[in-house]
This record gives sequence, structure tokens and C-alpha cells, in this order.
Amino acid sequence: MPGMKRAAGRVYAWLERRLQLAAPVKDAVLHPVPRNTASWWYVFGSAAFTLLFLQIFTGILLALVYVPSAGEAWNSLNVLNHQIPLGWFLRALHGWGSNFMVAIVLIHMAQVFLFGAYKFPRELTWILGVFLLLMTLGMAFSGQVLRFDQDAYWGLGIGASIVSRVPWIGGGLVHLLLGGPIIAGATLSRFFTLHVFVIPGAMLLSAFLHVWMVLKLGINEWPMPGRLVSRATYVDQYNQLTHEDGLPFVPGAFWKDLVFSGAILAAVAVCAFVFGPYGPGGQPDPSIIQTVPKPDFFFLWIYTVLSYLPPAMETPFILIAPIAGIAILLALPFYASEGEKSWHRRPVAVLVVTTVAVCWAVLTQLGTTTPWSPHMSAWSSDPIPVSRLHALTPLARAGAVVLQAKQCRNCHSIGGLGGERGPALDDVATRMTMDQLRFKVVTGGGNMPAYGKNLSPPEIEALVTFLETLHPANEPPAYDPAQQQAIEAAQPSGSAP
Amino acid sequence: MRCVAVGLAAWLAVILAGCRLAPGHPPDPDSRPDQVLDFATLYDQNCAACHGRNGQNGPAIDLGNPEYQALIDDASLRKWIANGMPGTEMPAFAQSAGGMLTDAQVDVLVAGMRKAWRAQDAFAGAAPPAYAPAAAGNAGDAQRGQQTYQVRCAGCHKAGGEDIASSTYLSLVGGQALRSIIIAGRPDIGQPDWQHDAPGGKAVTPLSAQDVDDIVTYLGTLRSAATTTVSAQGGGK
Amino acid sequence: MSEQEPMHTNEAHETAPSHPAGNDDPSVVSRRWLLLKAGLALNGLVGLALAVPVLRYLLAPWRRDASYDSWVSLGSVDGFPIGETRLAFYKNPYAQSWDGATDNVACYVRRESAGQFRVFAINCAHLGCPVRWFPQSQLFMCPCHGGVYYADGSRASGPPERGLFTYDWKIVSGNLYIDAGQMPTLSNTAKLVQISNGKGDCSCQG
Repeated sequence: MPGMKRAAGRVYAWLERRLQLAAPVKDAVLHPVPRNTASWWYVFGSAAFTLLFLQIFTGILLALVYVPSAGEAWNSLNVLNHQIPLGWFLRALHGWGSNFMVAIVLIHMAQVFLFGAYKFPRELTWILGVFLLLMTLGMAFSGQVLRFDQDAYWGLGIGASIVSRVPWIGGGLVHLLLGGPIIAGATLSRFFTLHVFVIPGAMLLSAFLHVWMVLKLGINEWPMPGRLVSRATYVDQYNQLTHEDGLPFVPGAFWKDLVFSGAILAAVAVCAFVFGPYGPGGQPDPSIIQTVPKPDFFFLWIYTVLSYLPPAMETPFILIAPIAGIAILLALPFYASEGEKSWHRRPVAVLVVTTVAVCWAVLTQLGTTTPWSPHMSAWSSDPIPVSRLHALTPLARAGAVVLQAKQCRNCHSIGGLGGERGPALDDVATRMTMDQLRFKVVTGGGNMPAYGKNLSPPEIEALVTFLETLHPANEPPAYDPAQQQAIEAAQPSGSAP
Repeated sequence: MRCVAVGLAAWLAVILAGCRLAPGHPPDPDSRPDQVLDFATLYDQNCAACHGRNGQNGPAIDLGNPEYQALIDDASLRKWIANGMPGTEMPAFAQSAGGMLTDAQVDVLVAGMRKAWRAQDAFAGAAPPAYAPAAAGNAGDAQRGQQTYQVRCAGCHKAGGEDIASSTYLSLVGGQALRSIIIAGRPDIGQPDWQHDAPGGKAVTPLSAQDVDDIVTYLGTLRSAATTTVSAQGGGK
Repeated sequence: MSEQEPMHTNEAHETAPSHPAGNDDPSVVSRRWLLLKAGLALNGLVGLALAVPVLRYLLAPWRRDASYDSWVSLGSVDGFPIGETRLAFYKNPYAQSWDGATDNVACYVRRESAGQFRVFAINCAHLGCPVRWFPQSQLFMCPCHGGVYYADGSRASGPPERGLFTYDWKIVSGNLYIDAGQMPTLSNTAKLVQISNGKGDCSCQG
């Protein structure tokens, strides 16, 4: 044993004589950090770094099998899923690793923002962090493209449609994005290049610089209300703090980073094992039009925004909002590089984070249910509840057939089945009189197309007769009081039309 | 230490042996929509909305009625599915007619319905009128049809809500559809077949083939009268 | 002690730059600097010369729309019944052998009369998702954000700001041809962006 130890020591000495890494590593490992930063709040950055390496590692493993060709990519993913032992698990690790990475990066960013860690002298660390966030999102999107299925194909179409809205050079940009005039082999090749070479390279470089600056500038101290940052005094104050109330980075703070990273890796593995890989969905064959494209989880909110924007605002919003958002993030450390760090005294910051989080959650929730999308097969697959058809007159029954056959159900649900674009029809008769129903069907309005030209008069009549039966047993259908009065007034004379 | 070793061994065993049983193991890839050849899937996606789950209790005719399945022949069933039924809301489903189903899928639907809902001896020995009218067009006598209608049908389908002799209703239901319902009935909503078509469903004699021809012809004359008035009204709007 | 501090080393570098190797003969030093500048200039020049072909290569897909388009056949006009709208497919004329199925493009052909056609792109004018034609209700519906169009392609409801994109068409010896080649987007097909609520005519003849 002692012999082996001596040999190891000799090898170490031989390597160290040439590498000379001991001193800088020791500096980095033992540099003092403020005691109260050895906190569970400070583990997200290192977890993101760990996930980056998990992604690189699993990505390289997947690249052993994946074929970046529009003709073969989908097949090779299915081979990974079904023929290579545990290929599905590697795909799942990479997919869930991506989800966790986006989530952790966002949490890390929110924490850094709330702790005021972007202030002097860490402005550049924040700016690099913003670029790292953008690159993480870029990896998530390009990764979805490499999962070359119908969602990927039509997702690219959405991307191209957005880019095409750029004034003057939109057409050229679409060609550049797609590598040609349509989504095809060249498109996949360039997204492969982005996902495998360009962005990971830039990300690794940025991440190392990011960590380098954290080591050089020190970990942001726990913000205390009233302890203001000023350019003139901050560095001295920080050094004083680390001396008087500091501890070496390793092991004082680092053990928590290690534990959290390990837990995150375990969580990724469990999710991968339990939930499995993402897709691939149907073949990327654009001649299959029975498809309902949907973006991945972290882009659902954009999908929602795009469906709710009024048409006239859409192009300006799509083109200006992302640039404005990035500009605000980049400008933040210059606008507020000094002053209060504590969230206790930064109500606007807390409000911004809360608002963004709530908006994001609501938009994502809407994006998972997509209430604005017609259900393309509802008209032929979703039956009307039997109780609604019970004891109908022949005409109303024919109206129910009209309701189904004319695709009303694609946007209107009955009994919880059908689209949600328009209001549910379960008790529509209590809301609208027969005349109003007829008018609405014929002229449309709001988000409803006008059916006047598309239905024959008997169809409209039957449809409205059926709709008139859609009310709860204990609640009569709506009626027009004025009309009712007129009828009653006319009754004595017996000449009602 | 031993616990860890046992845990690791279990994990390895799961990985090596049970990876196909893992909850995350991906399902088989979706087949192309035009390659789906499972009757239940095709029926639920394309037919269930109007004809009801299991061919019953939908607003349109109950395909699950054994008498209907016994009445109609394969060629007619295939024709209606593929090309739609003129004069009704039944749309064309075959790709050749602008629908989304391949010929093979239409065949699967026909065969599947036969297998699921055709019963041996659905008419219990009785011989119903033929599915299609004897002669092309409706060769019946409208006058006699009106009389038969008054005796056999109008008892229930009297003026008011249940009236089927209304112009609007008849514009939405073709002659063949009327004929099928008169003969096969709609047991799911309690409508009697040709043997029982009479007030209260208590007929003494079944409707003859001639009676069915006559009634359908009579209702057809009401329809054609109706379409002219309706289109005149529609033009005014 | 304090020079071990990360901050402090930083400040030290900024405040006290020292060049121990700088006390050579001034003339030699200035010559070395001149040579360094010459080296930089040479690399800059070569870099610039190399950047031109690299940029040209990178921008290769950026071409005029017309250079991608050509006339492709959708088959005999007899395949399209008068008064109906049918799904049709064509192989994109600009294609590579490794494109797989991606260059199978779908479109909708509406035959308005014996000699009058209207060919709609499958892509929704909103964000390019594949619209579905429903002959029963005579509507196109988009599965993504709920855009709806009438049979003539004009916008009926939803977020699209215009009607469906159309292809130019012609009939040569009984076959229907369309001028196709690239994914229709607002930048290559839209001549007019106008929100119309379907007055029975298409606002979007491309």
C-alpha cells in the first residue's frame, strides 16, 4: 500500500511539474466566500453547469446513432427508441435534461435578479448569463427540430412564418433559416450544425467565462436591507466581509452544490425512466395533413400569445417584443448597477418576477389545453350525450345531425366533448332566443364564421330547433319579452301571423 | 454497504431485464393516418359522432340495429360511406370523393360493422320489403301513400313536434333513409320496424313492400313541394 | 494577505501595469511593434479576403423567389370535379435526394368552373400550419390557432390577417400546373395585407 501511494505521488508530481494546475485550483477551491452564501439558494448555477455537461454527454451518445438527414432522422430515432437497448432511456435523459436545464437556468436567473447579484461589479456576469439563457432556449428549440417529426416540421413552418414578417429582408431570412425555399434536408442539416457545433461551443465558452468571473469577482454576498452597493466602496466592503465572516468555498459552500447537482441528476434519471423520451411523433411528411402541431413545453406560452394577439398587433409584437425583452435584460445591470440589493426593499423587482411567473404559468396552462384550436375530428368522433337526444322531435334530431355534419362541434363542446374555441352549447337555449340563434348561425361574428351561405334554410331551421332544446330541465329557454308581449296582445284578435 | 450493493444489483436487473417494462418505455410509433385499419378506431373517429357509439343512440340512423344490417347489402353500405348519401347530411368519406379515408379503410368499416352488428336471422323468419325500391325512382302511388300514412304513421307523427310530413324535415332526409327507417325501425329510440308500424307499435299486419313504396313516394312529393317554397323564402333573405 | 483576494488582484492589474521586458533599445522596440502591426495587418487582409467567399457560401440560400419557383403539374384537370375543393399533392421542384418525404407538398385545388381554378396553399396565412378543408361546412380550419377561411379562401375568423395564399396556375394540354417551389409566407406571396371579413371574394390573389 505505501508503495502504491508513493507511486501515485510520483505520477502526480510528474503531471504537476508539467501542468502546473495545483496553485490556481487551490486558489479557486479555497478562496473565501461570505459565510451566508453557503446557502441552498446559491446552488442553481452549479446545477445548470452540471446539466450542461449531462446534455453534452448524452448528446454525444445519441449522435452515435442519430442520422441528421431529413430522409432518415425519424427512422433513426425510432431505432433508438425500439431497437438499441436502452436507447429510449438515453433519449429520455437528454430530453428531460433539457427540460430541467431550462427550468434551472430560469430559476437561477430569477434568484440572481432578486438577490441583486447583477449589480457592480458583476454586470458582465449577468450579461453573459442572459446570452447563456438565450443559448439554452436556442438549444431547446433546435433540439425539438432534430426530433424530426410532424411537430418539428410544422414548428419550423411557424418559425419561418414569423421570420417572414421582418420587413424587406423577410424573404431572404426565411431562405437562410430553412437553407432553401422549403423545409427539407438542408433545414435539418443547419439545425443539426447549430445544435451540435455552434451553440454548444459558444455555450461552453460562455459558461466557463461566467464561472471564471464568479471565481474572480467572488460570490454575491447575501443581500442585507440597507447595505447599498456603491462603486467606490463595494470591493473593499466585500473583501472585509469575506475575511471577517467568510469560509473557504470548499467544502463550506461546495457540499450543497454537490448534493443539489446530484439530486437534480437523479431527478432527471427518474423522470426519464418514468415518463420516457419525447416522441418522435408522426413522420415528417407534409402530405399528412391530419396533424395538430404543438411546440414543446417551454415554448407553449409563445403559442398562446400568438393565438390571442389581435391580427393588427401581431407583426409589430412578434418583431419588437423579443428584441425589447433582450435589450431590457442586457440594460438592467447598467440601469441599476448600484444601490439596494435586498428584495425586501425592491418591491418593483419582486412584482416583476411575480408578474412574469404568473403570466408565464397562465399562458403555459392555456397552451397545454389550446382552447382556441378547433378539434379537427370532433365533428365525426364526439357523440352528443344520449340524454340530449332523448325524446327529440324528428326535426330536432335532424338538427343534431346538422350540428355534427357541419363541424359545429369542432369549436363548440356539448357534454364536455368538442372544441373550446366557441362557447359550450350545453345550455345555449337559456342564453339566446331562437331568433338570436338563427341570426348568429347565419351571420357569425366574433370568432365565428358566417354560415349563411354554407347551410340551406332547412338545415338552419333544423339546427336552431335542436339548439333550442339545449337547456336544463328546470330552466326554460330564453325568450324575447317584447315579442312575447306582442303575441299576447295579438292573441284576443286571433290574427297572430 | 450491503443495502447499497443489493440496490445496485436490483437496478442493474431492472435495466438489463425489464427495460421494456419500464413505465417510460416508448410506445410504438403512430401509424400514418391512412394506414389505420382498426375498425374500432376508424368507427370512433369517423362515424360515432352521428351514428352513436356502438352504432346506437346517435342522432342519425342506428347502424348497430341488426335489422338494418340485415336489410342493407355490402355494396350499398360501401357506396354510402365512400360517396355520401345524396339528400342527407351523410358526407363522402372516400379520398376519391374528397374525404380522408382510403378504399381499404372503407372496406374495414363495412366488414367491421357486419362483424359487430349483423345477427343471424334478424327478422325472425319474416321477409321484409327490399332495401331499395322495386323500380328506379319511387314507383309508389302518392295518393295511396297518403292514405297509408294517415292510417299507419300519423297516429304518432301527427302535426306538431313529431310531424315528419313537414317540409323542413323532409328536405334533410332522403328517400332511401326514410325507407330504411320505415322498414328496419330504430329500436334504440323505440321506433318500430315495418312489422309494427302502426299507432302504439301494434300493427295487425306488416307494411307491404307496396305500402313502403307508397309512403316514401308520398313523403317525396311533400319534399319537392317544400323545396320550391323554401328556396323562394330563402331567396328573400 | 489581501493580494490573494480576487478583487484586489484585479484592481492591482488595472492600476499598476508594468512591463519588465520593455526596457530594450527604443528603436528596436518600435521596430518590433511595427512588425507586429504588419503581421496584424496581413492577417486582417487575408481574413477579409477569406470572409468574402465564406459569406457568399453562407448566404447561398438567399436567392430571388423566382429562382426557386417553377411550374409543376397537379395532374389532369379531370381529377378535379367542378364546384369542389380537393386536396392535391406535388413534389417540390427544388429538392435534394436526401429530403425524404419533406418535399411532398400538399395544396387545395378549387375548380370553380370548367376552365377556372383556384389553388390554395396548405399553409395557414397566420403561421403556416396545415389547414384542413371541410366540404360539409365549406370551411378551411387551421389546427394551430383556429384560423378559419371560407371556400374562396377569404378569411372567416381567427388570427390570420388575410385570406389563404394562392398559387398561380395554368392549364397545358389538359393538365393543371401551378407555379410552386417555396413555402408560402407573408414575405413571398403577400402583395397586400388587409383584414377582410370574407365578402365572398378573396382579398389575397397572390
